[in-house]
Amino acid sequence: MEQLQTALTAIKVLRSSVGQVFDSLGSGLRAEHGDENKETKYLLELQELLTTVNVNLRDVEQAVSSLNPPPGPFNLASTAYLSQETTQERQALYGTLVNSYKWTDKVHEYSNVAQALLSQNSLKRSYTNSNRTKRGRIQTSSHNVSPQQVDSLISTFDRQFNDMTVSVSRPFASNAVLHVTLGHVLKAVIAFKGLMIERVVVTGYGETMDLWTESRHKVFRKVTENAHAAMLHFYSPALPELAVRSFMTWFHSLINLFSEPCKRCGLHLHSALPPTWRDFRTLEPYHQECKP
Amino acid sequence: MGVTVLQQFPMTENRTGPQTIEFLTKRIVALGAVQTGQFLVDCETYMSVPQLGVQKTVHVLHNSEQPASVFAVLESGSKVVPLIADGLFDLLMLKMTSIYTSKKQTKIESKGPRFEIGDFCVKLGSVTMSQNFKGVLVEVEYRPCVVPGSAWDLMREFLQGFIGSVVPNQAPQYLQNRMNDIYQPMDTIQQYLEHFGQYRKTTGVI
Repeated sequence: MEQLQTALTAIKVLRSSVGQVFDSLGSGLRAEHGDENKETKYLLELQELLTTVNVNLRDVEQAVSSLNPPPGPFNLASTAYLSQETTQERQALYGTLVNSYKWTDKVHEYSNVAQALLSQNSLKRSYTNSNRTKRGRIQTSSHNVSPQQVDSLISTFDRQFNDMTVSVSRPFASNAVLHVTLGHVLKAVIAFKGLMIERVVVTGYGETMDLWTESRHKVFRKVTENAHAAMLHFYSPALPELAVRSFMTWFHSLINLFSEPCKRCGLHLHSALPPTWRDFRTLEPYHQECKP
Repeated sequence: MGVTVLQQFPMTENRTGPQTIEFLTKRIVALGAVQTGQFLVDCETYMSVPQLGVQKTVHVLHNSEQPASVFAVLESGSKVVPLIADGLFDLLMLKMTSIYTSKKQTKIESKGPRFEIGDFCVKLGSVTMSQNFKGVLVEVEYRPCVVPGSAWDLMREFLQGFIGSVVPNQAPQYLQNRMNDIYQPMDTIQQYLEHFGQYRKTTGVI
């Protein structure tokens, strides 16, 4: 493979030096050749260029001679029949086919890297199990839960806090997506996977909600970040309902996002942001910089 | 649209209007604000002709923050009727000169630089009534929050940190009556109208 690579580079160099020869021929005598003996100077220049072409050509020949011809014709399997295609619109298929091969290759490569990373750092949310002895056992999963069970859990939140309204939709198969409105303060989209919280996006009261657009206000982008931290903090595979309930209790504490000063410095603002951090246990407000 | 507070900045003997604006600009930039263009709020007042009986007043305002809208406030006795229309309303008022006449010499506007700092939007307006300088009016908007009641303490802290002890601890009367309502663009206009009224009544600068 390396030899092929050097051969290709050599060809590239050759092409560029040949290009220079034609460039020089095309532009003819130029101002920088001066007045005296301009013809001889020009000829010298051409000679020099041609020598480099010669040298490069030798390099190419050398590189090519070290290559082994491939054994037999390439086996293209059924894609070989693509060349016999007569309809015009399908003749371009080969290009897209090659592209999709490239993509599959990339996916393969990335998944290998991801696999290596995951086996090194045991993230507690993923189910990669490098331990072979445990493979056989059935794992408790918070992914596979019936929609009714999720619905009944969610409806308890709606009743638990009277200044928080919660509505459920299921745009992605059976997984629930929660739209939460917290007083007149903020709105949030919470995506579930079974009983596990997958993603949280917090936006302002007047903003549109969807799973992918961030808020245009700095404070809600910060709160989204902290909500992600909370979601990871409260996650527990053994007691998924408790995890969701604790998260929602924590989330409800954001109701005083703008009105409550920081517990440590006693001020409302720190670098133009209100206290966006809520302690996981005490639910007390802190600035990002003041948090314990 | 977030909660907005207007604050008059008192003029001192040794500074002119533009100097005051420059002074405040330096302060807000030192706090880390970035200038994002200019702003303009203007107000023209029309009076109904005496033949129509009880005199009615129409204030027509524009705010560069809502460039496609025209705001109108009709005052008739103790009643106040606010209206938000599109740009054609200006032309309509021109057609009504036989009923409503404009008092040209009371045309008043506040304009100046506009700054953004974090989620705050700060506007330093110099108020002029028919080319005469009347004073400096500072507008601070906290865009993420829509309820004056929950944003006031935070905004007071910002305002006091920025323009000092001129800022009272109590919210402006206009906001106090609407502490738990959702803030609308019309509320900003009403506050401007109140302040413009004060500037019109006084002869010198404030």
